[in-house]
Amino acid sequence: MAQSANSSTTHLTKSPTLAALLSLVIPGAGQLYLGARNVALAIFVASVAFIFLIGFTLDNFRAGKIEIGGVETSWLWLLLVAFWLWNVWDAHQRARGKTTTRLFSLGIPILLIYIIAWQVTDPNFARLVTRFSDVQIIFNALIHPDLLTRDTETQAGATTIWVPCSEPPQTAAPEGNSGLPVGVNKICGTVGDTLVMAGQGFHPNTTGNVYWLEYNGTNEVQIRAAGQPVLITTDADGKFTVSFEIPAFAGREGLDPTAPIAQGIQARFTQEVGPLKPSENFQVLVGSIAQDPAPGWMVSLGLRSPTDTVPRFVPGGIFVTIGLGLMATLISIIVAAPLSFFGARNVMARVRGGVIIYYIARGVFNIVRSIDTLIWAIILVTWTGLGAFTGLLALSIHSIASIAKLYSEEVEHTDPGPVEAVTATGGNLLQNIRFAVIPQIIPSFLAYSLLRWDINMRSATVVGFVSAAGIGFYIVESIRKGGYREYAAALWCIAIVVLIVDYLSAYWREQIVKNENKISTEPPKPFYKTRRGIFYTILFALVFVASWNLAQVDLGKLFEPAPTFVSVLSDFATVDLSIPVWEQITRQLLITIFQALLATTLGALVALPFAFLAAKNITGRSARTRWVYYGTRFILSFLRSIEAILYVSIFVFWVGIGAFAGMLALSITTFGLIGKLFSEAVENIEEGSVEALTATGANRLQSIAFAIVPQIVPPFISYAIYQWDINIRLATIIGLAGGGGIGQLFANYVGQLQYHKAGAVILSIVVIVTLMDLASAKIRERLV
Amino acid sequence: MLRVEHLTKVFPNGTVALKDVTFQVPDGEFLAVIGLSGSGKSTLLRCINRLIEPTSGRIIWNDVDITALSQTEMRNVRRQIGFIFQQFNLVKRSTVITNVLTGRLGYVGTAQSLAHYFSKQDTERALNNLERLGLKEKAYVRADSLSGGQQQRVAIARALMQEPKMILADEPVASLDPVLSHSILKYLELLNKEDQLTVLCSLHFLDLVHRYATHAIALKDGQVVFQGLPQEIDDAQFKAIYGQDAQRVSII
Ligand SMILES: Nc1ncnc2c1ncn2[C@@H]1O[C@H](COP(=O)(O)OP(=O)(O)OP(=O)(O)O)[C@@H](O)[C@H]1O
Ligand SMILES: [Mg+2]
Repeated sequence: MAQSANSSTTHLTKSPTLAALLSLVIPGAGQLYLGARNVALAIFVASVAFIFLIGFTLDNFRAGKIEIGGVETSWLWLLLVAFWLWNVWDAHQRARGKTTTRLFSLGIPILLIYIIAWQVTDPNFARLVTRFSDVQIIFNALIHPDLLTRDTETQAGATTIWVPCSEPPQTAAPEGNSGLPVGVNKICGTVGDTLVMAGQGFHPNTTGNVYWLEYNGTNEVQIRAAGQPVLITTDADGKFTVSFEIPAFAGREGLDPTAPIAQGIQARFTQEVGPLKPSENFQVLVGSIAQDPAPGWMVSLGLRSPTDTVPRFVPGGIFVTIGLGLMATLISIIVAAPLSFFGARNVMARVRGGVIIYYIARGVFNIVRSIDTLIWAIILVTWTGLGAFTGLLALSIHSIASIAKLYSEEVEHTDPGPVEAVTATGGNLLQNIRFAVIPQIIPSFLAYSLLRWDINMRSATVVGFVSAAGIGFYIVESIRKGGYREYAAALWCIAIVVLIVDYLSAYWREQIVKNENKISTEPPKPFYKTRRGIFYTILFALVFVASWNLAQVDLGKLFEPAPTFVSVLSDFATVDLSIPVWEQITRQLLITIFQALLATTLGALVALPFAFLAAKNITGRSARTRWVYYGTRFILSFLRSIEAILYVSIFVFWVGIGAFAGMLALSITTFGLIGKLFSEAVENIEEGSVEALTATGANRLQSIAFAIVPQIVPPFISYAIYQWDINIRLATIIGLAGGGGIGQLFANYVGQLQYHKAGAVILSIVVIVTLMDLASAKIRERLV
Repeated sequence: MLRVEHLTKVFPNGTVALKDVTFQVPDGEFLAVIGLSGSGKSTLLRCINRLIEPTSGRIIWNDVDITALSQTEMRNVRRQIGFIFQQFNLVKRSTVITNVLTGRLGYVGTAQSLAHYFSKQDTERALNNLERLGLKEKAYVRADSLSGGQQQRVAIARALMQEPKMILADEPVASLDPVLSHSILKYLELLNKEDQLTVLCSLHFLDLVHRYATHAIALKDGQVVFQGLPQEIDDAQFKAIYGQDAQRVSII
């Protein structure tokens, strides 16, 4: 209190006019003069950024373009002027100890940013509507994924007719009835004549179609009336009659009465019979059973004769993906755990020169982490070639860095007391780590590892986009062929697997938090002697071997890189710094950033109402609304279980290649993720304060406005900013599937073997992701 | 015999925590270190086994200059000095017996201990020490499931594993209630009397000093302001140590 009074008196001694003038010349200068250093810096940086943004986007995206007297300019400059004027006014007011409204200080920049974001992303919402009928194919496919089929049985009967009639008309129909007995009421006819067809001996009460068979029997066409197929239905005795017109198809070869052509008419009933069974596509996706000759050891043990076969499970794409996720997690735990001590300040401070190692370790973790798995995969393909193993390496590298950072932070948060105690007993550094640090960090290490398994599983579903193995590759292939039912089947497989992993990971993490506190007076048996221990060891060994095989681990490949590898690597390292390249990069980066911003906004806005529907304390309590709770939860989990890049193809098909498609794909996952986070924020509402307000006599609306809204707005904003951060990372790769932005540019450069430029793109990604990471952490810190 | 000579500690931030501290502790003594909060008690005790590096001065124990030892030599000295902390400093998620066994780390090889291998004798010794402190049946529970007094007894058992010749206890009872304080200090007294261990113990309450200590020193702003028998602390001394406004209080 005393302090603020103090500072306002010091302001009073400074001149408002001078402050205003200073700010007029250089934005923020007046505020600096008044001692508000942070505000001054913010205003100055914002102004410079806006000048750059408006200029750059006018040239590159024609943002806000208007023509005045033959000069092209952007009307967005008006907003800059408004901001500038506000800054002058603010300096003036500040000097008099007053503040200005947030409406301008935050409102103008936000407005400007969104207008530019809009122009850069170039959204075309109209297309979502106008092209909706096209995309129905995909929605249909999603409902009928190609996973299961049944055998079909066809019953057919064909008869014949002359087209057209000759002079005089034919006296007998052409030869060639076949199948079950059917007949038509004419011997000959011409296009447009009405025919009545009858038949018998079919399965009762079934529905089929009529086909016109071409004269030589190779082509056929389904008979339609008013655009719809003509249906025939048998009665209880298996008889039918149907009437239709002779189709134009019948006259394809001409209607010459001197040369009538014998043509066929077929009634065909196709029925699905027998049980559901996995389709061929299912076998590719999930797996199939192959029969192998019995292996030698079985024969020599007398278990099988040499001619016998034994069944063998041939894993499909989803199992390769599961194997990749498991293996990558395991590798990253093993590598990251020791590395994490180098990134822990409290440990490194005890070693001479350790603090330098600490900074290096943390720096490397952050750089490696900011490059997405898919981009690592593109780089690594030049080393180990296409295949699951490259995918595994890419997943592992990214995962090691991410998890090592988390582990390091956890090591830093350990209680120093036990370390002091172990030192006092004469323990050295290693013994300290073993007895004082590791026991403390094990639960959080486990929790982070499980969380990482979940994340790796999701990444493994897309790494195949680049490394050509696993389900991601399968998806690329099916989309290329336009096989949307196959694509849909793959999405379902991914969703199921990811949801299971998600559940297991969360369940086990919960178990860790609950931390079983066993009270026993006996010394516990060593783990490997308990029955559970043996079971888990064997299970682990089996899973390990299976994953090792599925991921096609081939350590030899590491030592025989492609001959060009070294030159590629040095090309990457010698970053291209020329202006045209960086202009391209800036352009694409802006798309990436603003695409992520719009996706976050859109996703968050749509998620807002759903967050309340998915909150336990709102819908989960009464039996009447519980289905809403579970339903919304399921939709949210389903949508977020599929990586954004997998959605891109839907939107590319729907609204066309480009940033808008990428933005929509991102907003779907945003919706799923943020809907969950928001609903948790709603669940965390303290009911006490609502109660307290009700007790003061407030009505329902008032208690919502004063007790609930203040409790959820800060976490909502905080989550939205966090999500923007995540979305920028995702947006860096969305271009690989046609979603626009920096990823596309990177793929292009690599495709054209211009590795200097690709290196520049990576540099820009590292910088922008790191900056966003810092900024988002800072802003969220402020909010909480 | 422990001799502390002209010990001074200046922290990197400029705080002078100890200023020219000199005193002697003959073997088998129970020395109480008293003084206001911030007077430097913890710093003094930690300097003695060099958990904190002294700035200047010497610490001579049984004719060895502790301040001149290298880190490896220091390990051998440390394992002969038990340290008991106010906050117990147990590894909460480890079992009681593992915590007690860590007291043995100064004696076993690094590789062996990293594999969590302790000899049968060590394990037996740990169980015996726990029995001595009345905690045998708690050996295989996790340390965080014990009460504060029990945890401090585990910490004493851990110190005993070192087969120490001296015990440094930094306010071992400050986190415990009065009844438990007595039970813990009685154990220290027992070790002092039965095992002839030298005990240096910082304490807050004067009547605990009267009851258990054979000698006392008092610190004020890092300097020794009193040195002698506990009974010699009269009202004038008391005011000099604790300030003019201080009141004598007693617990139980
Ligand atoms: N690591 C450190 N860095 C800087 N100053 C320190 C550090 N540790 C202690 N001090 C300062 O040294 C002085 C003595 O601290 P010390 O902990 O030894 O006091 P104490 O007598 O044990 O107090 P208490 O009864 O509160 O435990 C205090 O002024 C303290 O602030
Ligand atoms: Mg202290």
